[in-house]
Amino acid sequence: MSSEHTKQTTARLLKPGYLALALGAVVVVLLPLIFTSRYTTNLFVLGSSWGIATLGLVVVLGYTGQISLAQAAFYGIGAYAVALGTTRWDVNWWLALLLGLIAATLAGAVLGSTTRKLGGHYLAMVTICFQIIYTLVTTNWIAVTGGPDGISNIKRPPFFVPLNSAQRYAWFALAVLLLVAGLVWWLRDTVLGRAMRAIRENELAAEALGVDTRRVKVIAFTISAVIGALGGAIYASGYLYISPDSFNFDHAVAFLAMVLVGGSDSALGAILGAGLLTFLPEWLRDLKRIYLVIYGCAIILVIVFMPEGLWGYVKLIGRRFARVVALPPAPRPIRVGGHGAKGEEILRVEKLLKRFGGLLAVDEVDLVVRRGEVHALIGPNGSGKTTIINLLSGLYVPTAGRIHFLDRGIVGHRPSRIAHQGMARSFQNLRLFRELSVWENILVGAHRAGGHESETQARALAAIEFVGLSDKAHELCRNLPYGHQKLVELARAIAGEPELLLLDEPGAGLNQTEKQELVRLLKRLNEMGLTILIVEHDMSLVSSVASVATVLNFGEKIAEGTVDEVLRNPAVVEAYLGNREVALGV
Amino acid sequence: MFEVRDVHVAYGAVTALRGISLEVREGEIVCLLGANGAGKSTTLRTVSGLLHPLKGEVLLDGKPIHHLSAVAIAKRGISHVPEGRHVFPGLTVRENLVLGTSNRSNVRREEMEADMARMFKLFPDLERLKSALGWTLSGGQQQMLAIARGLMARPKVLLMDEPSLGLAPILVQEVFRVIKEINATGGTTILLVEQNASMALAISQRGYVMETGRIVLQGSAQELLQNPQVRDAYLGGGKGA
Amino acid sequence: MFESLSMNGQLVFAGLAIGGVYALVALGFVMIFRATNVVNFSQGEFSMLGAYFLFALWHGLKLNYFVAIMLALVMMAAFGILFELAIYYPLRNRSFLPVIIATIGASIMMQNGALAIFGPSPEKVRPVIDTVGGTGGIMLAGVFFDYQYMITMLVTVLLVGLQYLFFEYTLLGKKMQATSQDKTMASLLGIPVGLMIALTFIYSSLLGGLSGMLVAPIFFVTHKMGATLGLKAFAATICGGFGDVRGAILGGLALGVIESFGAAYISAIYKDGFSFLVLFLFLLLRPQGIFGEKVAEKA
Repeated sequence: MSSEHTKQTTARLLKPGYLALALGAVVVVLLPLIFTSRYTTNLFVLGSSWGIATLGLVVVLGYTGQISLAQAAFYGIGAYAVALGTTRWDVNWWLALLLGLIAATLAGAVLGSTTRKLGGHYLAMVTICFQIIYTLVTTNWIAVTGGPDGISNIKRPPFFVPLNSAQRYAWFALAVLLLVAGLVWWLRDTVLGRAMRAIRENELAAEALGVDTRRVKVIAFTISAVIGALGGAIYASGYLYISPDSFNFDHAVAFLAMVLVGGSDSALGAILGAGLLTFLPEWLRDLKRIYLVIYGCAIILVIVFMPEGLWGYVKLIGRRFARVVALPPAPRPIRVGGHGAKGEEILRVEKLLKRFGGLLAVDEVDLVVRRGEVHALIGPNGSGKTTIINLLSGLYVPTAGRIHFLDRGIVGHRPSRIAHQGMARSFQNLRLFRELSVWENILVGAHRAGGHESETQARALAAIEFVGLSDKAHELCRNLPYGHQKLVELARAIAGEPELLLLDEPGAGLNQTEKQELVRLLKRLNEMGLTILIVEHDMSLVSSVASVATVLNFGEKIAEGTVDEVLRNPAVVEAYLGNREVALGV
Repeated sequence: MFEVRDVHVAYGAVTALRGISLEVREGEIVCLLGANGAGKSTTLRTVSGLLHPLKGEVLLDGKPIHHLSAVAIAKRGISHVPEGRHVFPGLTVRENLVLGTSNRSNVRREEMEADMARMFKLFPDLERLKSALGWTLSGGQQQMLAIARGLMARPKVLLMDEPSLGLAPILVQEVFRVIKEINATGGTTILLVEQNASMALAISQRGYVMETGRIVLQGSAQELLQNPQVRDAYLGGGKGA
Repeated sequence: MFESLSMNGQLVFAGLAIGGVYALVALGFVMIFRATNVVNFSQGEFSMLGAYFLFALWHGLKLNYFVAIMLALVMMAAFGILFELAIYYPLRNRSFLPVIIATIGASIMMQNGALAIFGPSPEKVRPVIDTVGGTGGIMLAGVFFDYQYMITMLVTVLLVGLQYLFFEYTLLGKKMQATSQDKTMASLLGIPVGLMIALTFIYSSLLGGLSGMLVAPIFFVTHKMGATLGLKAFAATICGGFGDVRGAILGGLALGVIESFGAAYISAIYKDGFSFLVLFLFLLLRPQGIFGEKVAEKA
């Protein structure tokens, strides 16, 4: 085990990311040495501060999928903090920076909390509002900000060596850029980073798997604001003069453009995008009038043809040469089902009612699920089965009725909270995190049960082995055949080692062989102690796994019992096939 | 009148139809039965042009139409009343009906009025509601409107997808009565997708039963009504794949 | 007291006139959204283009003012089609985020394209009723009724009226509404959905261009003029109720009046901020705006 561990550690250290960081450090040292003209050195400072601001957008937009058109405002907050601090208020640069970062944290958190109710274009609008109000205040509150005249004579940060030359400051700026890039890159593969990316891919599924999407979105905004402010601070001390013009809506749009053209999902892409916009005006000096037109055009072209940006293109090519690192074997098998006596009630539903406007979807349904059961929920199309699953997992709030899970009422709880109590589910129309790998999907599911990183890994390894997808671990979900995608969704749900598993039409779209495999897996899970509530249309699948069945029609329970009893019940036959006498009388 | 030949259809990675062949002759009511997920709606959507087959053809009066757009196919006289009613919520009953004639250009005022009068006779409730907005109608009323709108196209072929879905039993009877009448008086050819097999077979001449993208059973309505395998397709499916 | 009444009257009049322009831009915006679910962040730039087309034809080519307006409108119609083909069509099946961003990209292109072609200096366009010394007007009960403002309001009222008549009483109007409400169903009935969408883009483009031509003599024509206009119109649609035609009009007019009064009574410097403050409050407290979102759908 120890030599395995060493091998793993070495493999991790040699990961392309770490090599890139080392290479980056070399580049940082070399650049100001090679290009010594004052003009270019200043561009390095500008490019670095823009790059840092753009890295902030990688976190909120690239990772979490939330649009922010306020990044220039946060950039400005950092810049003004350092500017005011070192000129008017006469404090240490680092203290001024800290104050700026705190202000950015607060502002970012406030903006992030608007995502509670708003998303999409509403969110875009809120961020725009914030950005514009910021610009109006900095331009017009002359007493504090100096208004359009700006602030001059900004000082440089005190450092080990005095940063009194352009070249030295360029090193400083580039080093900070590298540091931030490294942090943003590192964030990607952490628990938080994966949670963010899960939200971007499929917020509903992330929530159902235990990710507190509300909190993560606020954190994402806060981080991006703090990073943006840091970029602004670097800029202010670089150029020693700032005015509100550098932090307006156009710049917010420019940062967005940089991150999109470069590749919003990666730190390196952000730097690429920022670098391009910094140096493009330089290289296209003759075409100065139209380089922004080109940039605007580039955004459209990139969005249409290369949604993952330029860096995405590079990654695509790089993927061909990537060596696949195999996963270690699972230290232990999957443990599902929790502790408790077989047959005890783990889910009790009383008079559950759900109304959508005028439509009564669920009509006073009572349901009890006992530990160790595989309980089927069946009924014709439109009978309310999926609605009930959504009510149980917290996606819908019941109009009336009670739901008790493991002796606790769960009506009104957020889906992530219910998930943490031990419930997991799959979705009728697959909700995988398509741009994440199989392994990453399962990891997100494994986090539901908390605990140490090694515990999470162990669970995820057990889950992926259980469904037999270990050799496909690093494939992106969107490239998998449908049958495998369904297995990933199952593995993701059980990786959190739940006590109750809700399955919504797990057999839909599968062929005979795949259905047989599914039956085998479900039986094994049940043997290991997992309680399952399964909605299905394929009756032979239901007969093979379920011990109890509840039948719904028009939102009402019409029969309950063993699968055989229920399928022989004339009321059930009529619900599915229609009433023969009535039909013949038509 | 129209024919589906060995059609294969996929939604991205999922194969929904694995070689479907069926035909509907002029003046017939043919029903397409099967459990949820069998591919019945997919079949209708392929005929009406919302989906295009990977393999196989759809022929109308002997001419291939499977490569045409939905708009073009509508103009050829195929009227699809999709699952879920889909009445235009912000338009009135009258306006919905008028739009039903969009498959023909230059419809004369008198024709339109005459057709509408015919619809109101068939669906008396709709006349009462003619100025009501679509979203205010009940499920049953919306279904009636959707059928009437489909008929305003004076279609050669009427494709109906689960007209009884979500309707109370008494309304279900009404809907099927109307469908039978449409066929009897107007001679409209109908392909009917239904989950409610008994009702559907009671008014059809022939039927097909589907399971996971394939046709597993076919015959006259009489035969199918007696055949226990129909029941299996719903309540014990998965054996014939 | 009479004095403050006339001053308030002036503020209301000016507010409604500018509000009318916001309403027109907002209307163009809502039309596109209803038909295609596209949130067009470059709608303001359509106004800028209209103003510049007019300027180029009238000042540059020395055409007769009214002929220039007609031609500029034709150019806007053509631009609408171009916009649809380049932005909407390639992204019609993608999620909302790429589309928003593409429209932002279009906005950057349009602004800087205008800058590159016409330069940064603000330009002046003559008003519809040209008198010596700029736009004239009549004095009534202490309020100066600027001709251009009056014409703007008149055009707004006319357009809104015509639009109402078109959508309520013509078959084509009904077909376009149907396309907005349920594109798939519309195509199943034989309605040429592609054509309906193209017409929507053309109409929105014309609305945008027209609003720009109306406002050009009041403010200067610059490459930036569309930016604030667009954002404020967007604010108006959200406050009025996103996707609702009445909301866009009411929101535009209300915002114009709020701005007018806010600038006079609270602070002229922060004039532009009022719309955004109002918007911010709506977004936090009642994001569905005054008229709410369209008929609620089952989850």
